[in-house]
Amino acid sequence: MSVAIRNVLTARTDRAARRFSHARVAGGLVLLAWAALFWFLLISGRYNLYLSTRTSWVVPVGAVLLTGAAAGRLGSSRVRSPEPLSTREAWVLGLMVVPVVLVMALPPATLGSFSASKRTGFTGAGLATPVGDIGTGPLTLIDVAAAQTTKEGEEALAERAGSTVEFVGFVSRYADTPADEFLLTRYIITCCVADATIAQVRVVNVPPGRFQVNDWVDVRGTIYPVGREVIVDASSVQEIPRPSRPYITP
Amino acid sequence: MADTYETGQTPQPVSFRTGLAIGAALALGAIAVRLIDSQRIAWMQTFFVIFGSLLIQALPFVLLGALAAAIIEVFVPIGTLERLANLPKPLQLPVAGIAGIAFPICECGSVPVARRLIAKGLLPSAAVTFMLAAPVLNPVVIASTFVAYRGRTSLWTMVLGRFGLGLIVAVVVGWVVGNRSPEELLRARPDERRAPLPLEIEPPEASWRRFFAHLGNDFLYMGRFLVLGATIAAMVQTFLPARVIDGVAGAPVIDLVVTMGLAFVLSLCSESDAFIAASFVQFGPAAQLAFLVFGPMVDFKLSALYMGTFRRGFYRTLVLAVAGTTLVGTMWLKVVVG
Repeated sequence: MSVAIRNVLTARTDRAARRFSHARVAGGLVLLAWAALFWFLLISGRYNLYLSTRTSWVVPVGAVLLTGAAAGRLGSSRVRSPEPLSTREAWVLGLMVVPVVLVMALPPATLGSFSASKRTGFTGAGLATPVGDIGTGPLTLIDVAAAQTTKEGEEALAERAGSTVEFVGFVSRYADTPADEFLLTRYIITCCVADATIAQVRVVNVPPGRFQVNDWVDVRGTIYPVGREVIVDASSVQEIPRPSRPYITP
Repeated sequence: MADTYETGQTPQPVSFRTGLAIGAALALGAIAVRLIDSQRIAWMQTFFVIFGSLLIQALPFVLLGALAAAIIEVFVPIGTLERLANLPKPLQLPVAGIAGIAFPICECGSVPVARRLIAKGLLPSAAVTFMLAAPVLNPVVIASTFVAYRGRTSLWTMVLGRFGLGLIVAVVVGWVVGNRSPEELLRARPDERRAPLPLEIEPPEASWRRFFAHLGNDFLYMGRFLVLGATIAAMVQTFLPARVIDGVAGAPVIDLVVTMGLAFVLSLCSESDAFIAASFVQFGPAAQLAFLVFGPMVDFKLSALYMGTFRRGFYRTLVLAVAGTTLVGTMWLKVVVG
């Protein structure tokens, strides 16, 4: 018998001796579910609701790696001595798919005004907004938030009093907020939503009762920093759809 | 399941009906999420978003760690690691710590790598040093710390302090581990306790098969603890007002303990935590450094991973040693830097 024929026969015998391992198939399916979630996030663009621009690269990388890991595990799930899969382990693996189900079944959602009171104020001293940036060019919410936390920033922003600004954010209100005012809020994230800090300005001179909490708005007006509080006297407030990138990254 | 294996009983194998029940439960869960309309229930929406984001950001790093662990397990010749283990004992711990620089993995990923290193015969103390040092000393973390503190007077205190104190804490904890055996450190894991295959009858599995088996096993084992840790961290972030924490800064020693506690609760990835630490301007550099050194070594999600990897007694020792050394180190820094 030639070596080639013997090799073919050995390979066939080896394949016939292999059986599906329940443990490997179940684990492969969990990996596949997570891979599907990452592809879903990537294709739908929903990763913007969870991650900052700085860390969004983990989604394509995760999608490719998880797909490879799932394919490799499922492809090697026929073994000569299948590992047992206990009922308890099967339920644990099922629980690992729960986050996948949650994220995929959840309508596109972002942090809203509920968590604004539970978040620390953004204090980006030295982070990516040097004082020089505040003094020149159009003011952003990051400039404003960073300026609120350092003395130099406060002074630089104070010099911009009377400048025209345009900010996009959502409406927040506290119990004592007057009817013709609201707090324009935007979350700043550096990594993922768990790191979110808030940037907030007080918008005055808005039509009472027109904007509801969590409505996304585009505010144009004149900025008046008063100590650590920043007031925007609105000249126009327009309701807009939620931006595709609801969080901002310094 | 671990108990079942440890007592030598055969676990009840999963039935087709159980598989169907799990599938049905997941489908029902999906329908419930759609019907409840979480957008109307603010706390629920906040919890889901934070929970999802923690997992989406962290799971690829767990997979990268599992990948590195599987490569070490299957493809790294045992001799390579034996050479590290053959170094003079006083050198083993610092070298293991410095080796962390070469592994750009975060803390979730370094736990399975350390476990594999121990399984491959590296001194447990050196593997623990590596596990603690890698998430603090890796180049990505150093770069993110530099970016976060750029433009501040405390820039080099933070970058060098994090590197230096991180290495010191990792080496000290390795020294505390001493000559403990792998059995004293590691918790038995079902897939590693199984009887070895009768190698004399069957040829060994192909390398690629073993690679994917290890990769999947590590990911699935660590992943379940990450899911648990993310659940707790998301609950804390949903219900605990940050302003409560903000009010504590200023008290000597208490500020260090508070930032360490904060790092524990927030369970941030070491590649991103510098940006959060830099935002605690109410706290001085020493307290921020305590946050940056302690967090990547001990936090909520890591505790879940440690509990699944190490024996309970060792977990307690690890937490106390890391906390004690970080506290002493940052108190000294406070004396020197202010």
